[in-house]
Amino acid sequence: MHDLLFYALSGLLVCFSAVVVLTPNLVHAAVGLVASFFMTAALYLLMGMEFVAISQVMVYIGGLVIFVIITILLTTRLGEIHLPPTLKQRLWGILVAGTLLGMLLHVTLTSLRPSLTIDRPQPVAAGSLETVGTRLLQPTSDGFLVPFELISVLLLIALIGAVVVARKDPDLQEDDQ
Amino acid sequence: MTLANCLVLSFILLGIGVYGIVTRRNFIGVLLAIEVILNAANLNFIAFARFSAQDSTAGAVFPVFVMAVSACEMAVALAIIIAMYRRKGHLDSRLLGGLRG
Repeated sequence: MHDLLFYALSGLLVCFSAVVVLTPNLVHAAVGLVASFFMTAALYLLMGMEFVAISQVMVYIGGLVIFVIITILLTTRLGEIHLPPTLKQRLWGILVAGTLLGMLLHVTLTSLRPSLTIDRPQPVAAGSLETVGTRLLQPTSDGFLVPFELISVLLLIALIGAVVVARKDPDLQEDDQ
Repeated sequence: MTLANCLVLSFILLGIGVYGIVTRRNFIGVLLAIEVILNAANLNFIAFARFSAQDSTAGAVFPVFVMAVSACEMAVALAIIIAMYRRKGHLDSRLLGGLRG
């Protein structure tokens, strides 16, 4: 049952990710990204990692994709401006991605294979909301309080920087109105 | 569902993302492809945390940091994209040399 669900979810995840990359309309691509994030969150739940699944839905789907969709709507007129890839780009893409994928799969399935088949019994609730939340804010040496606070400072800096970069430049001649 | 299955899945996602980075001509499309790759990386973290880590909880914490950093990256990248769109009026990566270092 678990295996069947895993294969179904991974198949959908690969399909939606392909939609993100292949569809000419960027709005459709962003919606495909939402779907693929949902599938990933479901996979995390399947592996017992509740905390990551919930933050995936909240941070990625609730925040980041909305941000991307607004930018797409601002800059591409409802996603109707299409820039199809040239033949050369397609060939290079298939070459680079295929080579990378082939090498990684070869290494994983031949030399690393014996070390990958171990399935340790999972300690109960290692990824649950309570365990991860407590661990994240523990001030002891195996907690993650300092990185957590640093991340909030980094977010603040990035947001201020984004506002500064995207602000209207008064010296610049606007020509899109 | 084993570690090898999860690794193969995330490699396929990585391949899809790399193909997207190479073929997309719109900058936002490139960013979306980068998100696919980050998703694959998180999946890897979780798979290793679930199947082979000594300390699974620490493995579940790290993707949260990856998400926060990628949110920062997207905020700054989208701001740069909006600024470039204001200047040039389009986002075709083949015609924009302004970001070349």
